[in-house]
Amino acid sequence: MHNEVKEIATFIGEYATRLMGSGVHTSRVVRNTKRIGEALGITVKISTFQKTLILSLIDENYEEVYSQVVDIPAYPISFELNSELSSLSWQAIDDHLTLDELWIRYNEIIAKPKMHPLFVLVMASFANASFCALFEGDWWARGIVFSATMIGLFAKQRMQAHHLNHYVIFIVSAFLASIVASTAFTFDTTAEIALATSVLYLIPGVPLINGVIDIVEGHVLNGFARLTHALLLVICISIGLSLTLALIKNNLL
Amino acid sequence: MILLDVLMDGAFAAVAGVGFGIISDPPLRAFKHIAILAALGHALRFSLMHYAGVDIATGSFAASLLIGLGSLPLGKHSYCPMTVLYIPALLPMIPGMFAYKIVFSLIMFFHSMGDPVEQQQYIQALLTNGIVAFTVIFNLAVGATIPIFLFSKKAYSLTRRNKQTISK
Repeated sequence: MHNEVKEIATFIGEYATRLMGSGVHTSRVVRNTKRIGEALGITVKISTFQKTLILSLIDENYEEVYSQVVDIPAYPISFELNSELSSLSWQAIDDHLTLDELWIRYNEIIAKPKMHPLFVLVMASFANASFCALFEGDWWARGIVFSATMIGLFAKQRMQAHHLNHYVIFIVSAFLASIVASTAFTFDTTAEIALATSVLYLIPGVPLINGVIDIVEGHVLNGFARLTHALLLVICISIGLSLTLALIKNNLL
Repeated sequence: MILLDVLMDGAFAAVAGVGFGIISDPPLRAFKHIAILAALGHALRFSLMHYAGVDIATGSFAASLLIGLGSLPLGKHSYCPMTVLYIPALLPMIPGMFAYKIVFSLIMFFHSMGDPVEQQQYIQALLTNGIVAFTVIFNLAVGATIPIFLFSKKAYSLTRRNKQTISK
């Protein structure tokens, strides 16, 4: 019987770390994981940290406890996985799925193709241009922000594909976007708004909001870990932006 | 022209919400719900701030509460957890302009090292913008999360599809 618990533990470890790594807030990870365990006839206890999970699986029939520590890999944030894997935990209960069926459905879900990078690029550029409109930038500024975002985000995507250090990625992307946006100073337009908005596509909104959610839900340590991580990225954006500001500050004064 | 301004604000917020949301890979079926929530929330904050004299912190709280409440029925409709809908919808309200001004005043603070009077102005700008940015982000997240606490049983089972839809 020991092997059976061990096999379940492998699945649950994979499932829980995938959720944690994909930017799901802590209480949902804990709830979903316990639900899957319940469907397989096992009580799951779980401790979550930023980089690792500790799992204890209790098989009450055979009075066994199996514990393991699992590393959380850094996956890209995915709301799709958040929805589909949450749904899987309910299917496990409602359809009485076996462990093998769970593995099959799990692998199907994570193998689904992601959004095309080019589509993401265009949509995010429109988003940042709209953001510029919300801050009362005029049409010139919106156009400049559109192209700045496109260049900055394209560089970010290429650097991510080459697995560069993500602090470097954020600094370089922020610098590129803001230096492109600084061309606005040569036109008669709301240049400062264009410059300020150009780097906002980088703001790590998901970890910022997840961090606060974790804190108010009582997962205070995890919440602060997420906020600290988000803050470091914001500092990187500031470094990239201040490089541009240092180059053009004579125009600002 | 008030109506047009509010509508434009909502439309830009919808594009911003969906566009920024796409970076985080949301399910395709959630797009229209994200757009609706982002537009409603931002338009509410815009109206409150421009026509009712409400400050940005309170306005953000009211808007995020509306987004949170709206994500409950829309999440049920699209089998998405509430956070999948409301986090992208909140993104257009992240106080980016204030964040920029924090960085700007920090740089100018060091730039005016020899001039204490000017430095004091930049410190004040730093604090003001910092407090606003922090409070707005906190209010956004808390406001949208309150409905999860109020309707927790319903909120936790949004991704549960009924058995008929699965077996077909």
